[in-house]
Amino acid sequence: MLKELDPLLHSQLRLAIMSILLSVEEAEFVYLKEKTNATAGNLSVQLDKLSEAGYIEIEKGFVGKKPRTVCRITERGRSAMEEYVRVLREYVQL
Amino acid sequence: MEDKKLTEKESLDLITRMINVSKRNMEVGDGNVLLYWGYTTALLSILLFSLVWYTQNYVWSWGWMLLFVAWPVITYKQRGKERVVTYTDKTIKKVWQVFGYMFGLTFALIVLFGGIYRPEAFILMLPLSLLYCGLGVSINGIILREKWMTYSPLVAFVFVIYMLMTLINNEHGTILWYLYLGFSFVLMMIIPGHILNHKAKKEC
Repeated sequence: MLKELDPLLHSQLRLAIMSILLSVEEAEFVYLKEKTNATAGNLSVQLDKLSEAGYIEIEKGFVGKKPRTVCRITERGRSAMEEYVRVLREYVQL
Repeated sequence: MEDKKLTEKESLDLITRMINVSKRNMEVGDGNVLLYWGYTTALLSILLFSLVWYTQNYVWSWGWMLLFVAWPVITYKQRGKERVVTYTDKTIKKVWQVFGYMFGLTFALIVLFGGIYRPEAFILMLPLSLLYCGLGVSINGIILREKWMTYSPLVAFVFVIYMLMTLINNEHGTILWYLYLGFSFVLMMIIPGHILNHKAKKEC
């Protein structure tokens, strides 16, 4: 019996965000928006969902007067991605 | 990109694509830190050499302390520039942090071991700073796979050994050392800084 794919990660935008964050140390909101071609509103909603699940941490701050939002993957998020890819491989091998 | 469900194959393709997209690429301005430090130090070396030369007053040597002022200014100029921080960026930052601490520690230790009473002991800062900066640039070059950055500090190391040997032979340092330091910074920071920016411009 195959395990179910993590529903939180099995969506296009959230998976894209997690994949980017998996391969960098941290990324700004604008960087994620540019790389995923998502709208600011949608990206913001998905980031909140990932943050609530403890998969990423979001740091909001300012550089001068400009607001700056930085996102990082957490250990929990990293493990979730590893598990997601492992299950995904099982599906693909079928 | 939307919040839509994916097939298994689409998921794997997306992960691969996003990981590739976030690989570190050169960005215009990557060489700016090298340029800030390179020009500041090279110009300061010429300025201090000229001041000591024309006035014959070594009090101008304390002008090197301006580098401690340049440090926060350059850090301030660079803040918030990165939209993404890769593991490479973090490694480079850590390397410079270590050498920065060594620079500060060396200064503190010279003071501790009697530098206050023998100001000429601060001449040691010149070869040691050059050594730290050379090592830092060389390690950066290895990480970024930039040959000029990796090997140009060799010239600085020649000067470092020459300066240290002079001191071991109980001879005095001369103000020409300022120019050696400035020249080394041109080779190992200004030139690589321009090369990095030029390459980044071509890539973008």
